[in-house]
Amino acid sequence: MAILLMLYVLVAGFLIPLKPGIIEVFNSDARVAEPFTTEVRTYNTRLGQADDIRAWLWLPGDRLIMSKSVSVINDTYLKAEFDTLGNGIDVQSRNGLMASLMIDNSLEGHYFFRNAINIKSAEMAYMRPQVFYGLDEIKTRKQLAFPFQHILYETSRNTYFHVAIWMAMFALLILSCYYSIRYLISKKFEFDIKASSVTTAAIVFGIAGLLTGSMWAKYTWGAFWTNDIKLNMTAIALLVYLAYWILRSSVSDPDTRARLSSVFNLFAFAMLMVLVMVIPRLTDSLHPGNGGNPAFSSYDMDNTMRMVFYPAIVAYFLIGLWMAQLRSRLELISRD
Amino acid sequence: MNPGMIKNIYYIISKELLIERRDASVFLSSLLYLIAISFVVFKIFSSLEGPVKMGLFWVIFLFTCIKIVGGVFSYQSRKRKLNIYQLYDPVDLFLAKFAFSYLKLIIAGLVLILLQMLFSGSALVNAFLFGKTFLLCALGLSLILSLVSAIASYSDRQTGLVAILSLPLVIPILLLGMRLSLISEGFFQDPDSSQYLLILSGIDLLLLSLSIIFIPLIWKS
Repeated sequence: MAILLMLYVLVAGFLIPLKPGIIEVFNSDARVAEPFTTEVRTYNTRLGQADDIRAWLWLPGDRLIMSKSVSVINDTYLKAEFDTLGNGIDVQSRNGLMASLMIDNSLEGHYFFRNAINIKSAEMAYMRPQVFYGLDEIKTRKQLAFPFQHILYETSRNTYFHVAIWMAMFALLILSCYYSIRYLISKKFEFDIKASSVTTAAIVFGIAGLLTGSMWAKYTWGAFWTNDIKLNMTAIALLVYLAYWILRSSVSDPDTRARLSSVFNLFAFAMLMVLVMVIPRLTDSLHPGNGGNPAFSSYDMDNTMRMVFYPAIVAYFLIGLWMAQLRSRLELISRD
Repeated sequence: MNPGMIKNIYYIISKELLIERRDASVFLSSLLYLIAISFVVFKIFSSLEGPVKMGLFWVIFLFTCIKIVGGVFSYQSRKRKLNIYQLYDPVDLFLAKFAFSYLKLIIAGLVLILLQMLFSGSALVNAFLFGKTFLLCALGLSLILSLVSAIASYSDRQTGLVAILSLPLVIPILLLGMRLSLISEGFFQDPDSSQYLLILSGIDLLLLSLSIIFIPLIWKS
């Protein structure tokens, strides 16, 4: 069953396209009482085929300013012209008002670039009143596609691999702690074997998680490994579990080995919690979820991604269990 | 936690002190190791600046600690172990050994600080903070190393195992110690040391409670 889930995850993860989005807005300074023109480059769009493309300036308070005209240059490039911006835009601060640029058409729905345009205020004797539209003017279209993330673009698919692997690893480690505790209470040998094989599977997943993380880092941050606290802490946690392996291999008496490794397992798990959960949240970090970055909130991962993400975690966990089961059965047979 | 624990611990510590006084060569050899390494290192790096100096301090201190504490549980032969376990509660024994190693570590650390001041002067802006850092870090190091040494005393090759097992576990303590000591040297513009001290003491408390829980499980025969 784990294989089926994995296949589903792989297929859905790779084949579902990203929603269309805006990559770049080339002119982002606007001023009240002046017309505004900008050029926009988009992603995964078919602008050439859409008929009624409109561009909007999306102001806070959900007010929209419609563009005067939109000229499409090719499928992913368009030029939008706005009429003279008029009265009614309250630019409160000296730095200007940030507005998002939104594009919609009936073929693709809508997509926007948050805080793309900065509108500065100006003094003018007479400004005609600005016409605002509400959000219900915007066309939407339901499609099976992933949300569009800046900088990440297509690599957000890595969520299914990297994040899911780490979560499955955590689940496996909690399971191994459970087995260690049961061994210490009951002294039955099979629990020790189960604990060690689950921990082994968890270590393998940890290494895989680090590898996928570095690949992702190369594409989004530019380097395989940064001097980031969460990365260092997870590397240290992995070292602790490798030390667990070494401990197991260096004690020859099986009873002692079982006892010592169970205790060390619990100890290592406690340290892991501290290292990976507590410390990164306290300091600045580039990694999402810590140090002021939002974790995958409802903005980043809407339901389409969740549909693939949760099964991915379950799939990895089951694969890990399967590996652990095979290994523990092997151990049990080989000692009889 | 049996009644009379403090009395037991005190008694074991005094016995250890007696043993040390009779034959202090083990501890003194570790101190000699410390002095020799510091000579070599501080002669090679003749001009030391902030992070390098502090980093070297902590590294030398760490390896000396491993040497001092690593041998704590090993010098007893099997027969003596049996004897001692029948007399004392394992938690008391562990805590006494840990406290005694802590004292030894403080002495070693003071020697190292003196040596460093001799060779390259002291750039400490906030000596009080450094003192607190040092005491807390030494506490954490002593705890981890005592626990690992207790675990490793059952294995076949002890000394190597202590180093391998303990190095990943001490990294967070060393990182915090490094950051705090750099703050105390005035390296960072905006010193907010209370947070790190809190984390450090938190880790120490966690380690202490974990050790007290786990030691009876390790001690069997």
